Amino acid sequence: MTPVSEKRGRLARISFGALILLLYVFLLAPLAAIMLASFTGGELMRVPPQGLSLRWFVAFFQRQDLVDALLMSLRVALVTSVVTSIVGMMAALCSQALSRRLAVVFQISMTLPLLVPELLTSIGLLFFLYQIGLAKTFIGLQIGHILIAFPYAYVSIVAALRQIDPAMEEASGSLGATALDTFRRILLPLAAPGIVMGAVFAFITSFDLYTISLLLKPVGGNTLPLALFDFLTYEFRPTAAAAATLSILLSALGVALIQKIVGLQRAF
Amino acid sequence: MAKVKVKSLTKRYGAVTALDGVTLDAESGELISLLGPSGCGKSTTLRCVAGFLSPDSGDISVNDQSIVSTPSNRRDFGVVFQNYALFPHMTVAQNVGYGLLFRKIPKSEHGPRIENALRMVRLTGLADRLPKALSGGQQQRVALARALVIEPRLLLLDEPLANLDARLRDEVRWLIREVQQQSGTTAFYVTHDQAEAMAISDKVAVMKSGKVAQFATPRDIYQRPSERYVADFTGEANFLAARVLDASAGRFRIEVAGQTLDVPGVASLKAGDTAELLLRPESLSLDMDGASPRSLFTGVVSKAAFLGASQHCEISLGTGGVLKLAAPPNTSIAAGEQVGISVALEHAWLMPEVKP
Amino acid sequence: MTDARKWQLLLGIPAVLLLFVFLIMPLAGMVEMSFRTAGSNAPYGDGFTAVHYARVLGDGFYMATLLRSLVTAAIVTLLCLIVSYPLAWHLSTARGGKALFLYACIASPLMTGVLVRNFGWMIVVAIDGPLNASLMGLGFISRPLRVMFTQGLVIMALVHVFIPFMVLPINNALRNINPALSEASLSLGASRLSTFFRVTLPLSFPGIQPGVILVFVLSVAAYVTPALLGGQMVNLMPTLIIRELTGTFAWPFGSTLAIVMSIATLSIVVAFSLLTARLMERVRA
Repeated sequence: MTPVSEKRGRLARISFGALILLLYVFLLAPLAAIMLASFTGGELMRVPPQGLSLRWFVAFFQRQDLVDALLMSLRVALVTSVVTSIVGMMAALCSQALSRRLAVVFQISMTLPLLVPELLTSIGLLFFLYQIGLAKTFIGLQIGHILIAFPYAYVSIVAALRQIDPAMEEASGSLGATALDTFRRILLPLAAPGIVMGAVFAFITSFDLYTISLLLKPVGGNTLPLALFDFLTYEFRPTAAAAATLSILLSALGVALIQKIVGLQRAF
Repeated sequence: MAKVKVKSLTKRYGAVTALDGVTLDAESGELISLLGPSGCGKSTTLRCVAGFLSPDSGDISVNDQSIVSTPSNRRDFGVVFQNYALFPHMTVAQNVGYGLLFRKIPKSEHGPRIENALRMVRLTGLADRLPKALSGGQQQRVALARALVIEPRLLLLDEPLANLDARLRDEVRWLIREVQQQSGTTAFYVTHDQAEAMAISDKVAVMKSGKVAQFATPRDIYQRPSERYVADFTGEANFLAARVLDASAGRFRIEVAGQTLDVPGVASLKAGDTAELLLRPESLSLDMDGASPRSLFTGVVSKAAFLGASQHCEISLGTGGVLKLAAPPNTSIAAGEQVGISVALEHAWLMPEVKP
Repeated sequence: MTDARKWQLLLGIPAVLLLFVFLIMPLAGMVEMSFRTAGSNAPYGDGFTAVHYARVLGDGFYMATLLRSLVTAAIVTLLCLIVSYPLAWHLSTARGGKALFLYACIASPLMTGVLVRNFGWMIVVAIDGPLNASLMGLGFISRPLRVMFTQGLVIMALVHVFIPFMVLPINNALRNINPALSEASLSLGASRLSTFFRVTLPLSFPGIQPGVILVFVLSVAAYVTPALLGGQMVNLMPTLIIRELTGTFAWPFGSTLAIVMSIATLSIVVAFSLLTARLMERVRA
């Protein structure tokens, strides 16, 4: 290489690096802004924060409506993650018994809630629940969350089961294990990381859902994203940042958990 | 002690017939090899016997009791898989002891049994390791111990040496034979390696596109093959086209390469049949001083390669056709030389000509 | 190949029921709803009519809103692709701990809700927020920009929301390209730039196509972002639909709007797939 082109190469590399850095700043800026703003000691939701304190977290936990919403979100997300994991595991086992062509159709059907926009699913469910008398009930909201979070659990579990050598099941069976023994002693432990990952995905997905909760929310009940939206429209105060920071920390916990059990690179 | 019979096993996948009337039987304590190239149906046969596949028709029986509708977990067969299929989340001891969990065996006996099985495959001191911390050969021994600890009625081995390097393969092969004979377990052994099959089997079934081409002892498979396919698959072979002139009780007078010879062969041949004469390289010897009175054939050396322990030669016959043979290492042979070939006619073998 | 265990098929029943009863039937119900007459005291009446479709298709306001939604989504998709490609390329070349860190950076926004991320932008672009402060500090502007409740902000926030959806498939596609191919191109005398445009970019299309389709579909139907950051100033289909459904309780008309929007989206997706089918066919392994 001539010195000129070497120089140009270095310049290109540096500007590309700068571009990438800028993009990551763009990607993480809103999250960083929220976290910084939530720790402010001042009255205003601003970045940079004026002094550091936890007073807005205290303020958050003193607001009964927000705490109720948080608890409701956690409860819905927990039920969602348990139900989707069980139903997802069953469906994943079913898909293994299907012929190859049917398995493809089944796979697409199972991920349908991911492919249909949340808005459409929510509208359809709103009408349907109204017609069967479950509109504006807690159970209706729960069904909606389970439906939308289901593909996340299913896909993770299917991927985990696919990693398991079919000879494992045969070996176990040939040694005298029944299907249930094989499931309990071989499949479940080997698929455990995938199941946990799916459960975490489903939990976080449910915890963050907005549109479907807006349309299906039960009378007198609010999820945290709904409460946060209302709060932001009427009072733009750091309490909201504290609430959002809690939800970011929850997600970070989920990401860390997934990294620990399966590794991010395999998860995404 | 178990006598195993496989009768007219058939398995189809859509239009493809994977097994077409496979029949085999094993006396108690015998090791039967299923030998053939990939796609010949040997693994499918084994998987039907193991109960992983259910045959479309045919029967499998153990001590004259049909087990074809028994699910694999109640057949009491030990299976050794090609990739070992060790449970990665269990230690060596847990892997070996796995089958004991589903049998009415007191917990206190598990330990000694596991230890015993591991001693049998000469693998002690590694009981608490996880499979991934073991070498391929060690993993294979664990797989063998796991299959044997349940004292199976039948031991099924699916290409157990395929993933090992050549040196280990030899070692584990003898171990498998030794352990199988010691325990007196009847065994089916799938392989595509003819040397492996001949070395350790009581009987070999050579398979060809879903059928058993020949089922006999290793010696018969090699020296008295039923057809060219079997002869080809079991080792180096020369074939000469021949015509049967006269047949009587397994001996035949034939015409081959312009000569009339008296040879043994497949009993079903009749006078007038076209046939193929099998001449194994080791039943041929070179007469270096050109044609001697002993020489049956004469020809010209077309290829000679020094291999160390022997020399590989190819001789073009004057009457057409090429014979391969192994010459002693210390005679000097060069391409273009005129040589004679003597044949140990008692080791020649006449087979019917099978149109491919 | 193990013979299928028939009883395993039964395990699929709960999932199939879940999807059929609570997704397929409701979506079919929505189509039915769009043909219902408007109700006087209920969200919908008993009769059937096609009048809502006539109203949506005949009214310039709704058609203009639909067009605005589609164009906005197209802009979002394009910007998202432009921003995501370098990120995906950079990510695909990273290995080990660095790759892990980058994955975490890409995945973390994905794992936090859309609402939270949009809310973050409210802080960033506030009049006295860090964006205005740094732009003024650098001397690019002399007075703070009013960004809140503008179309630009909505587009930017949507791009931000969908970046992971674009980066991850492209990253996977790039990782699947045999590195020997670009080396071959370089060895044949192509510059790095032409190697990128002639080899790498076309071969990464199996990641670009699904990314583009996903982001476009999700953008058209995105509700939270325009509602929070666009307020009353940015009128897009989803906001209109939700207003009909929850504000005026006109369910049949709201359904009609949703279905017209879906059909328009689907047509564009199908057209895009057909247009790119040949390229896709060729570069697929």
